[in-house]
Amino acid sequence: MITAGIDLGAKTVKVVILKDEKVIGRGIAVTGLDQKESAEKAFAGALQEAKLELKDIEKVAATGVGRTEAPYATAHITEVGADAKGAFFLNPAVRTVIDVGGEEGRGIKCSAEGRALDFAINEKCAAGAGAFTEAMARALERPLVEFAKLALSSTKSIPMNAQCAVFAESEVVSLIHAKTPHEDISRAVHDSIADRIISMVRRVGIEKEVMLIGGVAYNVGFVNSLNRGLNLEVVVPDHPEYVGALGAALTAAGK
Amino acid sequence: MFAQFKDWYDNRHDYAKEWKAKTGGKVLAYMCTYVPEEILYAADVLPVRVYGGHEASDLTEAHIFGMYCPFCRDCLAQVMQGKYDYADGVMIAQACLHMRQVYSSWEIHKPTEFMYYLPMPIEVGSKHARPHLAAEYKLFTEAVEKWVGKKITDQDLDRGIDIVNTNRRLMREVYKYRLEDRPPLTGVETMHMTASSQMVDKREHNKALEQLLKELPARKRDREPGIRLMIVGSESDDIEFMDMVESLNATFVADDHCTASRAFWNSVIPEENRLQAIANRYLDRPPCPTKDTTTHWKRFEHVLQMAKEAKVEGAVIIQQKFCDPHEIDNPLLRKKFEDNGIRTYFLELDVTVPIGQFKIRIEAFLEMLRADDLPF
Amino acid sequence: MSEIKRYKTEPLKCWDKAKELRSKYYRDYAEAKSKGGLRWSGGAEAIDVIPYAFGEDVHALTAEPYAAAIAFDPEFAHKCEAALEAKGWARDMCAYMRNYWGSVLINKYAFGGEFPKPDFHLQSGFCCTHAKWFQVLSLWEDVPYFNIDIGQIPFWKEEHPNRLQYIVDQMHDSIEFIEKTTGRKCDDERLIEGVYNDSRTTSLWAKITELNQNTPAPLDEKTMYSLYVFTTLDRAKKEFMDFYEELYDETKDRVARGIAALATERFRLMSDSQPPWAFLRVWRYLEQFGVVSTGSIYTIGLEGVWDIDDNWNLTPREDLRSRGVVLKTREDALRAMADWHLRRPIYAMFYNADWKSKLMIQYAKQWHCDAAMLHLNRGCEGTSLGIMENRAALIKAGFPVLTYEGNMGDDRDFDEGRTVARIDTFMEGLGLKKLT
Repeated sequence: MITAGIDLGAKTVKVVILKDEKVIGRGIAVTGLDQKESAEKAFAGALQEAKLELKDIEKVAATGVGRTEAPYATAHITEVGADAKGAFFLNPAVRTVIDVGGEEGRGIKCSAEGRALDFAINEKCAAGAGAFTEAMARALERPLVEFAKLALSSTKSIPMNAQCAVFAESEVVSLIHAKTPHEDISRAVHDSIADRIISMVRRVGIEKEVMLIGGVAYNVGFVNSLNRGLNLEVVVPDHPEYVGALGAALTAAGK
Repeated sequence: MFAQFKDWYDNRHDYAKEWKAKTGGKVLAYMCTYVPEEILYAADVLPVRVYGGHEASDLTEAHIFGMYCPFCRDCLAQVMQGKYDYADGVMIAQACLHMRQVYSSWEIHKPTEFMYYLPMPIEVGSKHARPHLAAEYKLFTEAVEKWVGKKITDQDLDRGIDIVNTNRRLMREVYKYRLEDRPPLTGVETMHMTASSQMVDKREHNKALEQLLKELPARKRDREPGIRLMIVGSESDDIEFMDMVESLNATFVADDHCTASRAFWNSVIPEENRLQAIANRYLDRPPCPTKDTTTHWKRFEHVLQMAKEAKVEGAVIIQQKFCDPHEIDNPLLRKKFEDNGIRTYFLELDVTVPIGQFKIRIEAFLEMLRADDLPF
Repeated sequence: MSEIKRYKTEPLKCWDKAKELRSKYYRDYAEAKSKGGLRWSGGAEAIDVIPYAFGEDVHALTAEPYAAAIAFDPEFAHKCEAALEAKGWARDMCAYMRNYWGSVLINKYAFGGEFPKPDFHLQSGFCCTHAKWFQVLSLWEDVPYFNIDIGQIPFWKEEHPNRLQYIVDQMHDSIEFIEKTTGRKCDDERLIEGVYNDSRTTSLWAKITELNQNTPAPLDEKTMYSLYVFTTLDRAKKEFMDFYEELYDETKDRVARGIAALATERFRLMSDSQPPWAFLRVWRYLEQFGVVSTGSIYTIGLEGVWDIDDNWNLTPREDLRSRGVVLKTREDALRAMADWHLRRPIYAMFYNADWKSKLMIQYAKQWHCDAAMLHLNRGCEGTSLGIMENRAALIKAGFPVLTYEGNMGDDRDFDEGRTVARIDTFMEGLGLKKLT
């Protein structure tokens, strides 16, 4: 059976094509003002990779904040449900999923069957989203990948506000003016977000295996901070930003 | 001269653990300066006040919703990290909604052999609060007796009153030096002194104060005090912040904080009924905003009086984010200051402080005050 | 797809009367002075039987429901909030207080016309903010203020005599205060009558909400929000007591005939805290899933008076007359009222997170709830006290919990889209799809 899953997020649309429980195509596009158009673009990218046409897809399910706008979808699943499904599919030992995207951070407690048992989402005061790291990388005038890697060479821990992104940003500006080494600033920023995320995830409890998904999982600085904060090693799958879309594709396949 | 106080402040937990090992006595961790320490000293218990650690923590959100003040969340973080595990007992004198949660969570997750909630009344100006609070102190004393396994006599209470009163008296003596044109002590040094008094055995603290009072008169007055400031707020031991301000040619010569003068300003006036005497002291003390309700702004009068005595030129009002009682007071307090020729600057605090950003603001405030000083 | 079970349903007969009573209350307050009467304002927990004793023409404006009415009208609310923030007040203070203060500052009554200035303020300071709320107003309006401190501990848990005496003494003083302020004398007969009425009103509300333990629930929470308000407006008033007698009879009848608030009831929730008043439509959204919210420890316990045993079982407390309590003097009346007043569950919830958890778990059991939906209410530090511990305790006790952030009085702190998304996620996790 060939199915597809669309994750229509606030910043990006991801599409996964699944054939007999194997991923054969992925597509991604920036979520523009016309969400449907963005989704169609991402879908076309996935089809191309899979060397298929639209008519080959038997069923499509959608997730993400814009799921009701997703084209082709005849089924919907919430982000939490999709994350849990996708993560469990990739690793049935997963019991905690941490999803950090551009706008939102989520903590999900999973059952041994891959169902979401409980969830927590970052509340109003949040330095827990990827947008913050991007802003801080810009403040230090470095590409995000480089900014993230810098954190790994720091050996110093500088306490930083983990309650509010605006407060935290203020503190980074102070550190820059105090000529603090950039690697220490980078580590402080990543520690601050990790603290915020861990704080939220503690509401659902932390049980191994812990999987980190979402675009921010590519950020090696953040992964390092998260591992230190949790005192364990999180599992980071390949293509972490597609796990939600994978969960949607599994839903379409009746899983 | 102040090094001992700083050492106690920095190593508060080591001190308490050593005290326990040395004396074999019990330590009680408490929240809020309305706790009657006199009764605890009478029972030979060491009361230590719970402070935050000024470090971001990931432990509290599962227990306290993020909209409660940073101080209460920071205190709970310290507790959950095990920093106060040496405490044999925990108590709170009903302080405010936020701090009640620290006590509740502590009781749920790490209960000690003695947990006590003292319902400190808020209508401190009502004559009926007096017998009521004395009755509450009787209940509390009975509970403490059961805990420590011995009766607390009037002599014990006299001893407890004396220990705490002496500490208050000596610190007020030190405060007189702050009124000088060239004070021989800074606000940071004062804060180390007052905060550490809430962390160590006051008998030891009294000895250090006596020594300090011997040495202070001869201390060189070669530090340029600059602008004379008052710091006004709540549970704020933001020493890093105060240090930054005092590096800008300014000195904190007065304060209204419960980590400083508000906690110790008035003394117990002895009377036959010791518990009533202690109760009267806590009812009559400079009120926390949570207790200054129909007392007709008693707190404002007190604060202004302190500012005038110290010839304060500007007041820095620092407030824990989300604190309703302070937020209710602050706009009116600021107006009170400004109407009396004292300019104010307001800052909201969190667990950590953006020193750089605050420095910019304080520099501007000080510049404004200096401009006020110019004759033209 | 299997047939959806549908219960019989019908609207409440006394609904229109409730609306009229409420409108009259706000009208009476505004018009009191023009008819030679008196006006006073205080919180919902103010011991309103005391001003009641000063005459039939004494009318109250209870602060919180008034502020909730403002919140229900976001445009008006924004004006109130903006006025306060322009004067330098923080926007994270109690949302009810901000709305009320703002209304005074812009001198507009939410029900039309200028804000009617009270002759005095009477309050029960049971939280930090409540005690100071009228301290500031008193200054602005130049109106005298008396605060009765309820002692900051739930009396029923540990019944030490000094705790009751403290309140009774202050009640006596408050009578003197009103006599001095108004020039009127307290009518002790009327005081006694008011005390009996108050106890009957609040006992009835407990009994009415107890009926929601039935399946199907005869009342849904959104409806209850319009009905519980009379326990906050003026408990001693006979017309409110009579209304509850009527509502109680009608609700009993609905139970007897199996009349449901929600025809498609298949899942029962409990909530917590005041709702986000500008977004009560969220409760209607839940109904799309066949979910009825039965109420909460807040709706039953803010003013409802209950007996709570050692296992935290809740039983409506019989009113004073039914218990055979005889009140002859002012002292009798005040003592009985203070004792009665302190038995509200709300006084446990504001003081100890663990007690609140136990009450919530017991509520969930007795009201046969399947899950809980907790409002992380940024507008009220009291009702949100310990809410994260409550959440953990409910989950440990086997109840799934959804939390959402909001504000009862300030709609800027509530994100409807995100909240609906969370409800969708929660329902999906419970295996509940929308019925239509």
